[in-house]
Amino acid sequence: MTGPVGVGIGWRPEIAGFVAGLPGLRFVEVIAESVPTAGPLPAGLTALRERGVAVVPHGVRLSLGGAEPVDPARVAHLAAVADLTGAALVSEHIAFVRAGGLEAGHLLPLPRSREAVTAVCANVARAQAELPVPIALEPIAALFDWPDDELDEAAFLTEILDRTGAHLLLDVANVYANSRNRGTDPLDLLDRLPLERVAYAHVAGGAEQDGYYHDTHTNPVSRPVLDLVGELCARHRPPALLLERDGNFPPAATLHAELDALAAVGGLPGVT
Amino acid sequence: MTPASPANVPATRPTDPRVTTLAARQAALVAALVADAPPPPGFAPEPLAAARAALLRKRAGEVARYWPLLATGLHPRWLEVFQHWAAGRPPAGALREGWDLARYLHGAGELPPLGADELACWQAGYHYPEPGRPPRPRRLPSWGRVGGAIAIQVAGRVRLLRPARRHP
Repeated sequence: MTGPVGVGIGWRPEIAGFVAGLPGLRFVEVIAESVPTAGPLPAGLTALRERGVAVVPHGVRLSLGGAEPVDPARVAHLAAVADLTGAALVSEHIAFVRAGGLEAGHLLPLPRSREAVTAVCANVARAQAELPVPIALEPIAALFDWPDDELDEAAFLTEILDRTGAHLLLDVANVYANSRNRGTDPLDLLDRLPLERVAYAHVAGGAEQDGYYHDTHTNPVSRPVLDLVGELCARHRPPALLLERDGNFPPAATLHAELDALAAVGGLPGVT
Repeated sequence: MTPASPANVPATRPTDPRVTTLAARQAALVAALVADAPPPPGFAPEPLAAARAALLRKRAGEVARYWPLLATGLHPRWLEVFQHWAAGRPPAGALREGWDLARYLHGAGELPPLGADELACWQAGYHYPEPGRPPRPRRLPSWGRVGGAIAIQVAGRVRLLRPARRHP
């Protein structure tokens, strides 16, 4: 797999102009569900592809962790977006987003049980059978845990990765959020995850509200999250780091500074 | 580990709420988060409440992207109004949710003029005859009228001809 390399940013229509103006950029991520497969790619993405910028389609609504089989139409859409963008890798979450006919509207955690491992691995296998490229799986930030967890986070994730052969998309902000909300040490998790399987890492900002740390993607990346990226890179530097910003977009100079900070802490070439 | 059961006793009792399938438990959890169902057994209530509130904030943000004038017109009460309306209502997609909220506010006489302008524009461009089915783009020239606002649509281009009456 020739996966993503260097510092990238989540491509969103609102910041397409900003992203187009990053001279050293080598990869972006795009929300797969936002790309229509009937027509041509959004013009901004086509221009990036022509510059040789790699695109990673990032699914958010497959619901790979659902107890029901993954919807073949959703897998087909992700596969089509991978073809359309010439992607070498796609990514999705270890989570479920709907059940019993209701949409949750966001990524929800699985119980860390053997039954859930089996369910998610079956769905990943169904997706892998139809996808033209490898998949990387992202552990989510969760505000709550199930009451009957049998495995800890590291054992749960490692089991899923071992059984599916998938890559790991490690979201450092999620690791930080979970450790704060659970009162655990994020370094323990980093020490126990198979970091050599990380295809790329996510970094994003969050905010404290009502006693919980929320992974908002609409706040600046904080120093503790950057420090955790440093801890990750000191253990095993991933080939690529991606800044996720989904809203409340700051001035270009602020985003430049965040990308520069990522490059510096990750020891990667700057893109601004 | 569960001890081995005697052959004549079922390993699980369907009436026991603690023993159920992953599918049923996921469904109960989603219903508790978005449809006002009681929390499933064993979950700590405070983190679930935090998750419920976070889901509503995320939905409010998504609806505001489709309905920026409605959200602006309700400022600074947008989040409060949306959360009050959406609590217990399962997500239906941002375009539809904004539309349903605007209709509800219009019925209650609480739709701000900016929201009326925006609803008229969506009505001119999209057909949304019944809740429960997604709005569809209109193919023929059409118009929308809400609270004095009038919008027309020709060949997919929507124009607000007259804004809604501004409250004195």
